[in-house]
Amino acid sequence: MKPEPSHALERLMQALLTELMPAVQPAYRQASVGAQAMMIASVREELDRAAARRVEENRALRALFAEAAPAIMDAALRERLAGAAQGTDDSLLVPALEAGNRALRSLLVELHAHVESLDGADARRIEAAIWRELAASTERRKLSLGPC
Amino acid sequence: MRAVSDLERRLAAYLAPRLPGARNVEVSGLDRIHGGASRETSRFVLRYEQDGRKVERRLILRRDPPGSLIETDRRVEFAAYRAFHGTAVPVPQALWLEEDPAPLDYPFFIMEELSGFESNMQALLAPPYLPHRAKIGRGKWSILGEIAKADAEKLGLVGLLAPVAPDECWRRELAHWERVLDEDELEPQPVIRAVIRWLRRNPPPPAQKVGVVHADYRTGNFLFDKDGEIRAILDWEMAHLGDPLEDLAWGINPVWQWSRDGLAGSLLPKAEAVRIWEEASGLRADPRALLWWELFSCVKGQAIWVSGGHEYQEGANHDPVLCLSSWMMGNSQDRAALMLLGHLK
Repeated sequence: MKPEPSHALERLMQALLTELMPAVQPAYRQASVGAQAMMIASVREELDRAAARRVEENRALRALFAEAAPAIMDAALRERLAGAAQGTDDSLLVPALEAGNRALRSLLVELHAHVESLDGADARRIEAAIWRELAASTERRKLSLGPC
Repeated sequence: MRAVSDLERRLAAYLAPRLPGARNVEVSGLDRIHGGASRETSRFVLRYEQDGRKVERRLILRRDPPGSLIETDRRVEFAAYRAFHGTAVPVPQALWLEEDPAPLDYPFFIMEELSGFESNMQALLAPPYLPHRAKIGRGKWSILGEIAKADAEKLGLVGLLAPVAPDECWRRELAHWERVLDEDELEPQPVIRAVIRWLRRNPPPPAQKVGVVHADYRTGNFLFDKDGEIRAILDWEMAHLGDPLEDLAWGINPVWQWSRDGLAGSLLPKAEAVRIWEEASGLRADPRALLWWELFSCVKGQAIWVSGGHEYQEGANHDPVLCLSSWMMGNSQDRAALMLLGHLK
């Protein structure tokens, strides 16, 4: 059985922390090695979920846009939302998924600002759905080393 | 024995004419210290002979790096140290400021080193500091109250720090950090952009007073000893005139809760921190105004993490802390904002 990448990163992080870091001087360089070990720990945490969280989020955003589009007063924005809602992730390579995710999140910023300016129950419903998605997106990106 | 480095030699050459009557000026032990968001910080030993006696001084060099987490004015930082030295706000003595890059390649200033003390947040979570967290917390927020109470004019800081009207403090700071986000953002920031719009729709009341704002007053930016006494407040590089609530809110931001026990700054319950600050400052932390500044702190924090990530991405600074902060602290900052708005538990 070959070592899995996440296992290899775990071992690399441990080696940096327990073998290399104590042997490095001066203190500034030592702390820098510690920070790089934490970076590897974060990359390891992201590695397994990188494609899955982007696919999940892109789907969630397209569904949100599909639900929101009919209630949007601005015709150009409504059209772009409807178009984005029809999109798909044709490649599962992370850079391609990330590019799609950034485009969708940019559109989410515009949608959010627009619905904040609208009155009515539909606008509040969409706004609440956006906040739920923002909370979910933050959870998807959570790193266990973070302070909160 | 380590050879004298080029930087040590140049530092000695710079200092020699600034020490009247000094002979055989030597610099040794130049050792970079980790941390410092906007300056490369190093300790060194200065030795010379004066009036027939040998003098040894332990000093700190704060030198501008090629790229940093925060773009700041070293003159402001130097002036803040000078202004507060000898007051109820403990700070090291600032000695020389040099804005000409010729002597050491980049502008810098030099101040005394206060050695034997700790500043690392993680150190608070283990003995011998752990039992003193509450005491350190009381010291932290009472000293912040002293900063809020200080008279910027008497301290000689008016004229150096840009003036601002009480009802313009929030607008100026928000515009500044939004501009940093606009310039350095590497990916969309839907949470923080929503927070910025919320802040504009719900402006705070005018500042009770326009005072000196340290602007990075958090656990990690002061020195404490093994008895829980705070010995020096550091990192004044973002100091400005503004609403003192800005400092209080920054210090209680959830991203400084490394202890993960809900204590503000990993030291005290938030309500107690606010009460101590109110007593010491003589000001009131109106809950609505404080919430505004807490959310603003999330915008400012995210701008700092984004800016550091941008510097790392562009290759302007290779410090891994910049990259790590943009990932880890960036996510925590969004979480903090969502929690403050009641959208995340």
